[in-house]
Amino acid sequence: MTETAARFLARDRLEDLVHALARPGGVEVREVIAPTVEDGAIVHAPIESAAELPRGVRDVQAPGVYRLEETEDELVFAYAVGPHAWKRRLFPPQRTRLTFAGDDGRGAFDAADDASPSRNGDQVVFLGVRACELAAITVQDIVFACGPYTDVSYASARGKAFIAAVQCTHPASTCFCTSMGTGPAVTSGHDLALTEIEDGFVVVAGSNEGVELLESLGLPLADEDRRSSAQAAVRGAADHIERNNVGVDGSLARRLDRFPEHDRWDEVATRCLACTNCTMVCPTCFCSRDIHTSVLGQGEAGAERQWDSCFTVQFGEVAGGNFRRRLRDRYRHWITHKFSTWWQQFDASGCVGCGRCIAWCPVGIDVREEIRAVTEGEHGEDPREGDPFQAREGAQVRAETVGAGDTPGDGVPEPPPVMATVTSARWETADTVTLTIATPPGLDVRPGQFVMATLPGIGAPPISVSRISGAHFEITVRSVGQATAALCALAPGDRLGISGGYGRGWPVDEAEGCDVIVVGGGIGLAPLRPVLDWVLEHRDLHSGVYVYTGARTPDDMIFAAEMADLELRKDVTALRTVDRAGPDWLGPVGVVTQLLDPDAWAGESAVAFVCGPERMMSATLDALLDAGIASDRIWLTTERHMECGVGLCGHCQLGPFFVCKDGPVFDAAQLGPYLGIEGI
Amino acid sequence: MSDSPPRVGVVKFASCDGCQLTLLDLEDHLLEIAKSFDIVEFAEASSRRSPGPYDILFVEGSISTQEQANEILELRTQTAVLVTIGACATAGGVQALRNWADHDEFRSAVYARPEYVDSLATSTPIADHVTVDAELRGCPIDGGQLLELLSAVVAGRRPQIREEAVCLSCKRRGTVCIMAASGAACLGPVTSGGCGAICPAMGRGCYGCFGPVLDANTESLTAWLRASGRSDGEIGRLFAGFTAYAEPFRSVVTRSRAIASEEDPRARE
Repeated sequence: MTETAARFLARDRLEDLVHALARPGGVEVREVIAPTVEDGAIVHAPIESAAELPRGVRDVQAPGVYRLEETEDELVFAYAVGPHAWKRRLFPPQRTRLTFAGDDGRGAFDAADDASPSRNGDQVVFLGVRACELAAITVQDIVFACGPYTDVSYASARGKAFIAAVQCTHPASTCFCTSMGTGPAVTSGHDLALTEIEDGFVVVAGSNEGVELLESLGLPLADEDRRSSAQAAVRGAADHIERNNVGVDGSLARRLDRFPEHDRWDEVATRCLACTNCTMVCPTCFCSRDIHTSVLGQGEAGAERQWDSCFTVQFGEVAGGNFRRRLRDRYRHWITHKFSTWWQQFDASGCVGCGRCIAWCPVGIDVREEIRAVTEGEHGEDPREGDPFQAREGAQVRAETVGAGDTPGDGVPEPPPVMATVTSARWETADTVTLTIATPPGLDVRPGQFVMATLPGIGAPPISVSRISGAHFEITVRSVGQATAALCALAPGDRLGISGGYGRGWPVDEAEGCDVIVVGGGIGLAPLRPVLDWVLEHRDLHSGVYVYTGARTPDDMIFAAEMADLELRKDVTALRTVDRAGPDWLGPVGVVTQLLDPDAWAGESAVAFVCGPERMMSATLDALLDAGIASDRIWLTTERHMECGVGLCGHCQLGPFFVCKDGPVFDAAQLGPYLGIEGI
Repeated sequence: MSDSPPRVGVVKFASCDGCQLTLLDLEDHLLEIAKSFDIVEFAEASSRRSPGPYDILFVEGSISTQEQANEILELRTQTAVLVTIGACATAGGVQALRNWADHDEFRSAVYARPEYVDSLATSTPIADHVTVDAELRGCPIDGGQLLELLSAVVAGRRPQIREEAVCLSCKRRGTVCIMAASGAACLGPVTSGGCGAICPAMGRGCYGCFGPVLDANTESLTAWLRASGRSDGEIGRLFAGFTAYAEPFRSVVTRSRAIASEEDPRARE
């Protein structure tokens, strides 16, 4: 960048600026998206002329209230943020994520990642971006574009956007950017930044492209008076927010995750409509779902990616259960994520203080009030010290590697599913099938990881791998929903899309030289089978091997023959139990924890691998800890609703973790504090 | 179902036929639908009639007479998959407003010879009478949802019909929230989406024709309506639309009418 001196754009030359923004080289190449009045609000829409900017308009905002008033002046940027966030352009409400072409025998998926922020697919100008909104874009850069997987559509749209920011001079009562440290002054991330003063605009460039554009306009330098009025206007906005507005104590807000059982969650749930408006207007909320569908008579079935919200009932739903069925849990999740666990995930706040969620909540719920009510009596210093819910390595390591300084596009593009062929299908129980799948080229999957098993037009559930052997891998699927039912119906020769292996697997190496304890409940034995395979294959590298498994009834036991064989081995202790016996069952009846035999284990050096329903894992964890096994030597794997598998859709959160990328395997020190919290 | 196309019937009870017409309005897809389904009963489309059995039966309308109550029981025995379509079939329809009124008085006021009118005192949804396998809501139903249901049947999958508030559709299409921006009364936050949020996009509040969304917090919305100066009579009328008889809208209507009539007996009229 060669020059950053402030220039002056006279009010009557605003049209020249809009013209230059649209046609930087003299030809029309860019769509200019700017604030404009529509339906009683200032929204973002493409403009052709500066005359379409909101002239002489003021906004009045309060909890649940947004109104426009007209004034006599000529100001065009004298208002705070409206209902539209720039994410509409970078992360569109709906876009095609996958296309599937060809019939079942030859079809393949393709990633459709070329969404554009503009109608014509070319470069675009965002005119009127405020400091809080720039901060929000940076937050979404971290979420979408800094890895480990990248939303290519977002990164591509981001690269096409020229940002003409505007300094905030007229904040609303709902603004609290000063609390969150994001505004009101634009300091970085812009190509141009304008400050509106009485007779025009003081303009500075923030990038080479901005400098070139300013040069093309041939603007005079801004004189001392104008520069100081511009500075005073922004300072005035900051003072106004600080003096008049309700703020948020950011360090207190970071402690929200300490209060999962606070009464306020029940109280706010009586007011909250679960309408999702706060999340939809939030400039950082990034959750999405993939709609796999097909249209009658059309051979192609892809997937549409659509804005989703953690306030919907289905957000935490998996076939057979719902991790956040109660509204109190959903509200708690949203606000805790935004202000608290976001830090652990992305080393940033998920809130930028724009106040949209306050103004656009139909019943006027004010996050600032909710935070105060929950953290009342708390102190703001050292937010993470001694925190029982402190995220451990998983989240913190990522915060170090994926910080605000990373460049968008650093991650691996989220891949489309690769088609793979089923080579055998074996019914384990009346509702559970093990599919053997020829490993498609390039697919790398490790014990404990999962794959997204995509069926065109039906769905893409995450399924743990239950065996990895040479050119094949296995998945064991219980038919509990429409997608799993369709997977169970696959026959040898059928094809399905596979992406993965995803997530953190079992650290099988850590068990070397140790007693190995494997505890599985029901279908939870499936992800543990690769551990057993590994340990038995390297039997001499391990000390004692103890395998405890439980099922509802003898008929519900998966891998029954293999487990029976295991019981016969002299070098393995294998025990099975059932909740309810059948006529032929001679073994133990009762919960799996009854089988555990701590006296047999070398407690301090044992390593345990556990998977099953969360209540079973919780009970098992207590027993293992009682036996003296260190919590960081107990490994658990867990389940959540997933749409993408790569950390972009937001569904699989469990406290500060994304189960898809921080897990699904966790050590008990990480996961333990969360296992007992209902609806986390 | 066998390899031959599923036998489909479309029947109606107390209703206006608008939902059935949504099927005929799927113009671009009609040929494909005719190929994929054997439509054996559809009075709006063909004089060819069939008493069943049906693999799939689309049922429009509410149960408003004893004859209809008997007929739906019979149809259920003839049907593998019964799908109710529209606000009348799924919630009782606008005619369910009579469930709060004096039936005889209504009959006398409307008909010259009320003794010829043999109707029940209530209008009730189909699910109050027989087991329903799937429902498409709305007044009328949404063509996209209908096509999705038909496509899902052919593909052998569950239809992707989400349970979420109208607000998500408003936000996705970029509509400015009329509650926040103008103080308008809108049932969007408590109403199931699927319509594409057409009413708020036209600047008027959602009138709830898709019925209450799962866990609809009508308590909070009525508190807001009251705080914004609406009388209980007004609140009752707002919820007393096409899906008034579906809980929890029904409770709001009942309670608001009771409060309003205490304050002013004429408000019941």
